[in-house]
Amino acid sequence: MGKHVLIVDDDQDVRMFNIEVAKQNGYDPLVAKNGEEGMNIIKETPPDLVILDVLMPKQSGIKMYRELKTDESLKNIPVIILSGIARRTFIRSQEALTEFGDENVPEPDLYLEKPVEASELADSIKKLLG
Amino acid sequence: METKKLLFVTDFEKLWFDALRSLNDLRDAAFGHVVFLNVIERSRVSMYRGAGYKKSEEIRLREMANIRFIEWAEYLFEEGLEVGVYIAVGSLVQQVVSAVEKEGVDLIVMGHFKKNRLEQFYSGSEVTEIIRRTSTPLLVFKYKSEKGETYGKPFKKPLLAIDWELSPLENIADCLMEFKDVIQEINIVHVAKENEIKGDSIGEAQKIRKDFRGKLEGMCDLFEENGIKAIPHLFVGDAMTEIEKAARECRATMIITGSSGKGEWKEKWVGSLSGKLAAESVLPTLIIPA
Repeated sequence: MGKHVLIVDDDQDVRMFNIEVAKQNGYDPLVAKNGEEGMNIIKETPPDLVILDVLMPKQSGIKMYRELKTDESLKNIPVIILSGIARRTFIRSQEALTEFGDENVPEPDLYLEKPVEASELADSIKKLLG
Repeated sequence: METKKLLFVTDFEKLWFDALRSLNDLRDAAFGHVVFLNVIERSRVSMYRGAGYKKSEEIRLREMANIRFIEWAEYLFEEGLEVGVYIAVGSLVQQVVSAVEKEGVDLIVMGHFKKNRLEQFYSGSEVTEIIRRTSTPLLVFKYKSEKGETYGKPFKKPLLAIDWELSPLENIADCLMEFKDVIQEINIVHVAKENEIKGDSIGEAQKIRKDFRGKLEGMCDLFEENGIKAIPHLFVGDAMTEIEKAARECRATMIITGSSGKGEWKEKWVGSLSGKLAAESVLPTLIIPA
């Protein structure tokens, strides 16, 4: 069985694309439509990598990332952010939450701007999972 | 304090990002999560003679909305707010109700989509339809008047129009307490009907006034116990006209009213005060469901 890659995105086309890339490169995809669903899956089946969108209903990638990175048992799971939201905004928003008293969180392992080529996504996954 | 959610419904014409920014003070009432909703009317992308479903038009409209929402979301994220987005094709009412149910929204904010009487009769008013189908307060936000004036911070000094026969006052009071950190002063008005002021003597007629005033005072006490300055007003005449007058006299920033809870068909024939205020008042109107 391949390593588990959790794909969290509210856009069905993007989910399908990411699933295909993961499968073609020998990984087992897990899928969630928003941050809330994503965290539920992670708690049941901790994946080896998360590919995370930012702007989603119910719970954004910003909040889910923070939840993941502040959980002692889950914080070492690598994360690729794949989003239309700028990397700068992601970093600043995490800083803003820290200023409001939340814990400091590290920057994501990789940040990709949508849309991505299949090869770029595959290379990014391999870089983090081998 | 639990973070509250605000659903901001926009067609990018009536309400723009500056309208949302003018509601910034709602953060003091724990509104820390904004959910954007743009509904693409089916008629803009659906079949018409010889053309079929316009998939490319749907993609174009979705991406246009997405670009705008990303821009807005980036501002809000950087301020530490939580943001979510829905872009959907379909009926406005259905999509609003669906987003309210999925997200557990605490306040809906939308512009008003004016319809003529015939359109209103056949398809109903979106505002009254949404109020009938959800239990969430709805702010019909007329951010810019036709003269170009803007109405920011609507919760600062609202006018609460009450009719104790129609509106459940406890619901209204409970709902408004959620906003107590942003309401500086509330004016409470009841408009008595002309035929209610009756009696065989001046004393009898005055008793009716006293009774109305007493009820208004009781309502004011509820707010003052919670730290909100409240001022009672009794007007007499046509409800719509007098509420508008009262709002002007009090320099109100918004009108608040309860929904009538009338049935769909009765609503269509006789209309409702909340629906009329939402449609015709120049001020933002907050409707609290029965």
